[in-house]
Amino acid sequence: MESLNDDELLAALREALDARQAVPPEFIDAGKNAFAWHNIDAELASLTYDSTRDADLAPATRAEAASIRALTFTSAQLTIELEVARDSLVGQIVPAQPAVVTLLPRTGGEFRVDADEIGCFSIEPVPLGQFRLRCQSAGGIEVLTGWVTL
Amino acid sequence: MRDDPSVIALVARVGDGDQEAWDEIIDRYAPLVWSICLRYQLSRQDIDDVGQGVWLTLVENIGTLRQPAALPGWLATTTRNECLRVLRAARRYDPDGLPAEDLLPPDPDARPVDHELIVAERHAALRAAFADLGQACHDLLSALMSDPPPGYAQVSKALGIPVGSIGPTRARCLERLRRSPHLAGFLTEETPDLTGRETGR
Repeated sequence: MESLNDDELLAALREALDARQAVPPEFIDAGKNAFAWHNIDAELASLTYDSTRDADLAPATRAEAASIRALTFTSAQLTIELEVARDSLVGQIVPAQPAVVTLLPRTGGEFRVDADEIGCFSIEPVPLGQFRLRCQSAGGIEVLTGWVTL
Repeated sequence: MRDDPSVIALVARVGDGDQEAWDEIIDRYAPLVWSICLRYQLSRQDIDDVGQGVWLTLVENIGTLRQPAALPGWLATTTRNECLRVLRAARRYDPDGLPAEDLLPPDPDARPVDHELIVAERHAALRAAFADLGQACHDLLSALMSDPPPGYAQVSKALGIPVGSIGPTRARCLERLRRSPHLAGFLTEETPDLTGRETGR
């Protein structure tokens, strides 16, 4: 930039300010609001299986795989298996244990369901848009899944 | 990639729970995320989706970034991955709707240095340097960058400063901008032309 003369430097500055100006304020606000997720205490469960992703890898099975969406989130302490049924999202916590499962849509709000003694739960209707699940087991384990869109 | 000490400091402050530092990171790099989304020709709704995905991934990983100085590159890579995620989701409904090259999974080892990243980093550095200038320089340069370009008489009237001082003040302010530590990393680097010709304007 040392080599730019004054006019060029002013033009470059103007372009830099224009680039910032071109970004809608809501887009920036949404980014700032994401800080609410900072320092979540729960252990994170990462996506270790996604039927859609497998379909990408094996095109021949895509048709079958696409008919049932199945996902697995794994953390050190427990695994959450999910399947998209006709009008609900059904899941099971492994190892089986009762828990409170909270649906956290990215757009805000939350919705709680109970998982029974064998760790089964059902969320109706199937969540639209991106969401994550928080699982708080009766034994005190708290796990948060990564974000996912069905 | 240069090591920008201000980025390292911002990342460290975010790690301590500093919302202001987080906001500054968003202000600085939202244009980078935005410009990559535009390259993928996403709808506005999909861009919002990508943006959310990028910031949420960042907020979860910022404490464990191995090289905080590489944050812009990390953001560029994450944005590209999120764009591909959104495009793949769209493909489930329209399997033939995408060109083949977009179906390739992103290479995580690819050096995330591309045009958008280089331009966005320079832009962010210029804005940071501009923000550090004093109020008088800020006002004068802002006035001079108006569209259409104003005459000195007009600027003199608007800012209440003598016409004769505008030229020297402009030169002094731009020199201060040029000497800003924010721009230091760009002085020795061989970067493409900065004057806007490369951005297709």
